[in-house]
Amino acid sequence: MVVQLSSALTLGIMLGCLYAVIAIGLSLIFGIIRVINFAHGSITMIFLYLGFFLWQFWGIDPYLSLLIVVPAAFGFGYGVQHILIRPMFVREKAYVVEPLGVLMLLAGVDLILTNGALLGFGPYTRAVETSYSTSTMQLGFITVSVTRLILACIAVALTFGLSWMMNHTELGSRIRAVGQNREAAAICGINVHHVYAIAFGLGCAVTAFGGCATLPFYAIFPQMGMSLAIKAFIIVILGGLGSVPGALLGGIIIGVVESVGGQFVFATTATIFSLVIFLIILFFKPRGLMGTIEV
Amino acid sequence: MKQDSGIKGLAGGLKNRRIPLNWVIIAVVLIVLIIIPFVLEGEPYYVHIFVMIFLMGYLATAWGLVGQSGQLSFGHAAFFGLGAYTSSALYMDVGISPWIGMFVGAIVAVIAGLIIGYPTLRLRGPYFALATLAFCAILQIYVRNTPILGPLHLGAAWGITISPYLGGEGPAFFQFAGKTPFYFIALAMLAGIVYFSYQLNRTRLGYYWLAIRGDQDAAESLGINAGRYRLTAFLMSCALSAIGGTFYAQYYYFITPFRVLDISLSLEIALMGVVGGWQSIFGPMLGAFILVPISELVRAELGSVAMGLHLVIYGIIFVLIILFLPKGVNEPIMRGLSWLDTRHWRPSQNANNGKLGRQ
Repeated sequence: MVVQLSSALTLGIMLGCLYAVIAIGLSLIFGIIRVINFAHGSITMIFLYLGFFLWQFWGIDPYLSLLIVVPAAFGFGYGVQHILIRPMFVREKAYVVEPLGVLMLLAGVDLILTNGALLGFGPYTRAVETSYSTSTMQLGFITVSVTRLILACIAVALTFGLSWMMNHTELGSRIRAVGQNREAAAICGINVHHVYAIAFGLGCAVTAFGGCATLPFYAIFPQMGMSLAIKAFIIVILGGLGSVPGALLGGIIIGVVESVGGQFVFATTATIFSLVIFLIILFFKPRGLMGTIEV
Repeated sequence: MKQDSGIKGLAGGLKNRRIPLNWVIIAVVLIVLIIIPFVLEGEPYYVHIFVMIFLMGYLATAWGLVGQSGQLSFGHAAFFGLGAYTSSALYMDVGISPWIGMFVGAIVAVIAGLIIGYPTLRLRGPYFALATLAFCAILQIYVRNTPILGPLHLGAAWGITISPYLGGEGPAFFQFAGKTPFYFIALAMLAGIVYFSYQLNRTRLGYYWLAIRGDQDAAESLGINAGRYRLTAFLMSCALSAIGGTFYAQYYYFITPFRVLDISLSLEIALMGVVGGWQSIFGPMLGAFILVPISELVRAELGSVAMGLHLVIYGIIFVLIILFLPKGVNEPIMRGLSWLDTRHWRPSQNANNGKLGRQ
């Protein structure tokens, strides 16, 4: 029983890290632009496909393909913000506090990406097969998958790396300034739209980074985006919208609930638990566990 | 000036152009829609397209009630599906007529709406939109994996097939031969909900919504409880969507979680609302009249070769509309109508009383 439970716990933490790598980017974007990236899941899906095709056609190892996928994701995010979202900010200017219009716009982007992928790549499930996909290692009496362990390390490293960047670099302080007060930052000479675009690009790049690291053990299909995105939405609200460490914590909580809960009840019931946790958090602590943004 | 009454008055009104243009258009459209099923007698496919237009228009208008209170729901399929499942399971397992099950479904949807809406509608920002989305997704997962709930058979992923009632009393159990009765029920539902929404906008509640979506801070400083009135809007919308779900179940005699509880259906409803004008009365209906024929045509012509193409087209239309017509196609149409009305139809009368809706 102890072995079983601690295995489930370890598995849950690793599953949580998988969710967290998607959620970190989402939370980062919200913390600065105050926009929920509705298309987050489908953007992740597109770059997972890019990683997959790099492996399929040129045999590039998923971890190596990060060098191509991450800059591409940054460019894509920068472009989406610059071409599609910026006109809405320019138009709505100061008097719109909650840009639901942008949320809808991104829902449209999500529709295009998901169904475009369905159209272009077909509804098939695909997976990368590497020599190390199934390799495991022993941690005490628990067996873990090496690739999942690498992903967990990446999630933790991304969280700390982003926190460090935000607090100790010039770009980081610019980004934080824009996130705190758009107008004041603009008065200080910061190019707000450039910073927004960098933030969006960074959010996509981080997610693509984590996403590609899931390729060795995670099968991909066009409609995976929405289920990933919904997990990420629950996680960022649980952890606190805009908080990157909160996204990691929230991801791990949801992962552990699903994995350990699945030992006692049906897995579907465990999924419903995550909705219940989500509603309870919204009811008692809408800022989330580590959130700082006023609601 | 005293108005004449009866047919003579109507004829005089038309001749002297005292009747607002909008009323004339509404009357003409209604008459055409009533004649259509008799013209299309031997073409059930085209009648079906109209039924789908009416149903989606009905759902989008119900969805629009939430939009009028200034929020956005991405999970309306959940309430639609709750209605469909409640009435179907009650009919199949208990033998209750869907005409009654329809209202039980509405009550179930309201309870679900209360659970989702109460914690989230107090908050600003995207919480409500995300909570409805998550609810829809998780409800689908639940139903997909639940064959039996108490005495009711939900049928898990296989869904519920509604067997025809053999006692010869089909209409008492919401069952009709042919599509024409469904056509008229759907038309009546659409006309009813649009009229309801129009009247609602002239009540105190409608003005509260207008104030809240215009400027929540200002509304709250005048003592309007934004969360409460948003919840009212949302619960009405849930109940009405559930009734639409019962209609769908009886129309198709077959429901599965992949059809009635799917997020893509939620998005489709929201899409029609936004394309038409998500904060207006007539907008969502217009959205359905524009988008449903596109999707049906694309599906019929290219459905087998190009999966998901109609949703790509929807997405592109959607993005363009949000970027260039943020108030939906409703706005230019209404402006054009009111211009025609005041300039050409009734130039002698003063403007404004002929406006169809706000904005």
